[in-house]
Amino acid sequence: MAGPSPSLVAAREADAVAASAVKAMQAAGAQADARERYAELVARHQRRAGRIAYHYLRDAAEADEAVQDAFVKAYQHLGSFREELPFDVWFTRILINGCLDRIKARTRRERWIVPIAVRAAMPGGDGATAERDVTERVAAPGLSPEETLLGRERRREIATALARLPERQRSVFVLSHVEGRTSKEVSALTGLNESTVRVHLFRAIRKLRALLAHDVAGAPGELKGKRRVTS
Amino acid sequence: MSLRERLGLAHLSDDALVRLWTEGLESAMPLHPHLAACAVCRARLDTLAHWIDSVGDTLRDEADEMLTPDRLASQQAQIARRLEAIDRPARVLAFPKAARAVISGHSNVRRWVTVAAAACLIAGFGLGQVFPVRRAIQQQHVMAPPTLTQPQAQERARVITPEVTSDEELLSDAFTRSHVQTLSALDDMTPHARDIVLNKRNKQYK
Repeated sequence: MAGPSPSLVAAREADAVAASAVKAMQAAGAQADARERYAELVARHQRRAGRIAYHYLRDAAEADEAVQDAFVKAYQHLGSFREELPFDVWFTRILINGCLDRIKARTRRERWIVPIAVRAAMPGGDGATAERDVTERVAAPGLSPEETLLGRERRREIATALARLPERQRSVFVLSHVEGRTSKEVSALTGLNESTVRVHLFRAIRKLRALLAHDVAGAPGELKGKRRVTS
Repeated sequence: MSLRERLGLAHLSDDALVRLWTEGLESAMPLHPHLAACAVCRARLDTLAHWIDSVGDTLRDEADEMLTPDRLASQQAQIARRLEAIDRPARVLAFPKAARAVISGHSNVRRWVTVAAAACLIAGFGLGQVFPVRRAIQQQHVMAPPTLTQPQAQERARVITPEVTSDEELLSDAFTRSHVQTLSALDDMTPHARDIVLNKRNKQYK
């Protein structure tokens, strides 16, 4: 993570040009052209947006909806977009806010609903529905069944550990290490200052290591827990 | 970081390694003196970096598996539809003409209906004052009891008093009717109000 790469800089320039063009078309009333041009931006950022939304919401369908909402909202408010900020940063902020709203709404909703895992454990509950995680249904191509199983298990453990991080630490970790954002960008995306971003990142890694202790121990050249190695 | 670590006398703790790695992400920090000298800690830092990258990769792969080309294409189409819907003004469904005329707030008919209702009310009140209809009716009731002609009185007597003369005969006659007999079984099963009242009274007296 040593600053934006040349390809990223070029992509951002293209984004800025496209966003300005869409804005101008919207102002001129050429809505069809604006939509067509905006589709370029959607295609460019869709996958990344999907990843971020999925890591926040852990539900494929809800992540889909969040991404759609974010793109629609960004289109509607493109007039307020300032060109000095990269489009992807501005858009990601909209997306993250949408995801956080959904998480809040879900938390409120789930207060009144019996969780699926609990329901499955109840007498007469459907155990098959307990596993909603999409990774359970996706088979990795070209791997042996053992490797596939181990891979799934590891993914599930990592995803569970990530879900156990406090919201800010999770955001910072996902944006830094899954999306490859710099601390400055994460700061712009989350509204935290850069040093706070680093502190959250440090805590997130420390906690992840504690939660995935056996995964860390299993890695080559192991790093064991918090033990201090003295010479 | 402890003093021993700072002085490079001890190996760096895992937390110290994480902190060094986090701080050194973007800034070109000089290598920690201990790291420069200690191959073990350098290897541990590499392992840490590798592990963090692998966690990031795993999470990215997991999300990418969910984002199939079909899903992305349908999402794109859905976004396009929604954007189109924004630009298109909402379609208003027309209500039936009569209902709209009555419901609509801007309609002249509504105003006329209101005026007509008010006019009828005032007219009714005025007429009520001019012609004391209620008083006239009351007087009629008091002053003139209904007088029936001879055939009318006979007819009324026939309706009121049928052939039966006593209550017992009336009841026995009623019980012999077929539809009453079919209901009698149901009647037997149903608790009677008088039984309930009697039971209650008996309990009270006891």
